[in-house]
Amino acid sequence: MQHPHDRERLRRTTDLFQAACHPAISVSDIITAQFALARPREFEEDDDTELTRVDILGSHGAEPFTILPLHLSSNPPPFRPRSTRLPGLRRSRIKTIGIVLFLVLATLWFFSNPRVPRPDPERVPSGRPPVVLVTVIDPTQYPNAYLKTIKENREQYAAKHGYEAFIVKAYDYDTQGAPQSWSKLMAMRHALTKFPECRFVWYLDQDAYIMDMNKSLEDQLLNRQRLESLMIKNYPVVPPDSIIKTFSHLRPDEVDLIVSQDSSGLVAGSVVVRNSQWSKFLLETWMDPLYRSYNFQKAERHALIKGTQDGKDGKLIQKQEHIVQWHPTILSKLALVPQRTLGPYTRTDQGDAYQDGDFVVMFTGCAKSGDQSCETVSASYYQKWSSSV
Amino acid sequence: MSLSRSPSPVPGGGWSSPGLNINSGRSSPSNAAGSSVSWESAKMRKQGANGYPSFSTQNQGFFTRHMRRISSSLPRFASGPGNTYAEREKYERGGHSPNVGGGRIRSFLARIGRRLKWRILLPLIILCTIVAYYGTHEAPGFVHWWRRIGMGGGGEKFVILLGANVGGGVMEWKGAREWAIERDSVRNKRKYATRWGYDLEIVDMKTKKRYAHEWRESWEKVDFIRSAMRKYPKAEWFWWLDLNTYVMEPSYSLQRHLFNHLDRHVYRDINVFNPLNISHPPTEEYLDAEARSPVGDGNINSVNLMLTQDCSGFNLGSFFIRRSAWTEQLLDIWWDPVLYEQKHMEWEHKEQDALEQLYRTQPWIRQHTGFLPQRLINSFPPAACADESGLNNTRIHYNEKDRDFVVNMAGCEWGRDCWGEMYHYREFSYWLNRNPWELFKEEIVAVIWYKLTGQRVKL
Repeated sequence: MQHPHDRERLRRTTDLFQAACHPAISVSDIITAQFALARPREFEEDDDTELTRVDILGSHGAEPFTILPLHLSSNPPPFRPRSTRLPGLRRSRIKTIGIVLFLVLATLWFFSNPRVPRPDPERVPSGRPPVVLVTVIDPTQYPNAYLKTIKENREQYAAKHGYEAFIVKAYDYDTQGAPQSWSKLMAMRHALTKFPECRFVWYLDQDAYIMDMNKSLEDQLLNRQRLESLMIKNYPVVPPDSIIKTFSHLRPDEVDLIVSQDSSGLVAGSVVVRNSQWSKFLLETWMDPLYRSYNFQKAERHALIKGTQDGKDGKLIQKQEHIVQWHPTILSKLALVPQRTLGPYTRTDQGDAYQDGDFVVMFTGCAKSGDQSCETVSASYYQKWSSSV
Repeated sequence: MSLSRSPSPVPGGGWSSPGLNINSGRSSPSNAAGSSVSWESAKMRKQGANGYPSFSTQNQGFFTRHMRRISSSLPRFASGPGNTYAEREKYERGGHSPNVGGGRIRSFLARIGRRLKWRILLPLIILCTIVAYYGTHEAPGFVHWWRRIGMGGGGEKFVILLGANVGGGVMEWKGAREWAIERDSVRNKRKYATRWGYDLEIVDMKTKKRYAHEWRESWEKVDFIRSAMRKYPKAEWFWWLDLNTYVMEPSYSLQRHLFNHLDRHVYRDINVFNPLNISHPPTEEYLDAEARSPVGDGNINSVNLMLTQDCSGFNLGSFFIRRSAWTEQLLDIWWDPVLYEQKHMEWEHKEQDALEQLYRTQPWIRQHTGFLPQRLINSFPPAACADESGLNNTRIHYNEKDRDFVVNMAGCEWGRDCWGEMYHYREFSYWLNRNPWELFKEEIVAVIWYKLTGQRVKL
């Protein structure tokens, strides 16, 4: 933008330089004058006529003298509006420039490197079947009649909701010297292998019944709203006072592992895992042989409280608690739910006890034989669920 | 006699390592304040000047460092008694003030002709363009920025992590040789990273982490990779380099050297070269086909960790790891204290052995791990992994005919001369990558001169 004033200022400056040649005027005088010129608006009040009087003080403070006049013509020459095109830009040149630009871009493209790819997004399983129900049974230690009711319970439930029941024997897997209870991890991993399209794997211990046969696992647990309402956030993962707490901003879509707590720790007997790369990581880490051999501090106590016969289950739970507490990648996928939604006990001294209408019941702590045998404890519950079918 | 990287003073004075007494630079122990070091204080020390020997110039602050320069550049006002106002007036009117250099140049420019002006200006413009294009040592130029963006190669997708300050160790002591190694190594990587538009992150290996009631030295790799992933959110691949490495061929970009043809270089079946005799693939029947396959899913884009194997197994002196969910899981589990507690007595190579252990026992790790031929990113000098024959192993040892990319002076701190090797390879790299002018001087002029006079000259 060229303003008429700018032109004018230019001319005035030239005059000032001429004035500078005058021996009586010093440099500072000119600067003063220029300063005045730099603010032409001040003079605009009496513009168009005789602005012109710029008083310049003599450098010695002597009487002021005046340059007259500073040639300010009152009607500046008219300007034509500038053409929109740049002056040097003819049509032929535009064509040349375009070709050159295209060539430059083409060369750049030709020499450019392939992009560094991101990791592929994970494949989402189609959900057929939606849930695989995993149970590991031990026919060597428990009577067949009892195990038959367990099988019946799982298979009926699975058939009713379109799930798959995956019932395996504990000695199917080589635990390499570790107690047979570790085979549950291998069974879960096996379920992921066998049903690659399933969405969830639900592991339920042998000593448990599903009581509410009509309720699907989705309705009970997996629906987004339902899970959102059940998740216990910002709560110590291992009771009573672990400083590691469940995440408070976890969304139900991000949950890959659902467990519950009893009074002394996590319940490893009823666990839901989403089918994903993450779950393979979880299971394979969990069953690492170095964990199997490690002597966890609380292992024995766990074995005592829970009354598990071989006394080694505690280590498995300890390991679970360990990986949950020490590894943020696992904790960040974990949802803690109230025990009664996933696995209440028949006994009242170790955690929440079963109440009528609950989804599942677990006979944790029952014996292989005798007065407190699993068969005896479970009999009344068998009556309940089988009559409801 | 093993020359430890951090020699310790012996009670009578002097140092326990021979050869360092005479000319190894400094001879005073560093600060002794490190007696009670917690993780926080170790971390803080990283920031502060505390970690460096007290005699060296410490960066105390901007003004301390630059005061002289700033004050001398300020305008000077003459204020002598004889310099009155009137006198100064006269002075300036004369037209030549004594200390204005700019005025002299201006008058010179006014005197010379227009054509000469252009002749001077043109080379200046060309020089400026070249500088702007290639950049200077301090400020990267246009090429750097171009190579960073996706079209120019995507250099911002790569971060080089250099583990520095290794010798700091427990003693927090470094001699002249250690400083020299560090200086050369860092400069080498910085030049390389600037040239290709990568990011360079120099990490301080001295900040040991207290973890699960014990100090773990050299395990911070895991933490540094993790924090680098946070710091460079655009980066995909992170290249870990030990301090004792040297990029021999700075003209190789990672993209052209490796990443544009990953499938050509990476092998996933460890049986190709298996010094540890790891049984592969896993055979457990509960695993899926992908986990039991020797090559995982076979898709090159699923490789998230690329490392090399030397004569004794995995080598983590130079490896690539990629940002992914899998990587987070690996870094998380790598640290596991239960594994560490059981094995740390056996694990001579610390995190390296831990990774081997994880690779052995956990199939999910195998599925995303790939191996590179060692000499692609991690050539060894002949002294490392040397066998009785004394011959260069074509799989392991540096070969200048093939112009190997990187040399890793692995294990030089145990009985070998780290600085000697570093110096050798630095000079060798310069020699291999001489510019045309140097080649002309040394290969033509010097040779002719030798033929004519029988004297060798250095030009």
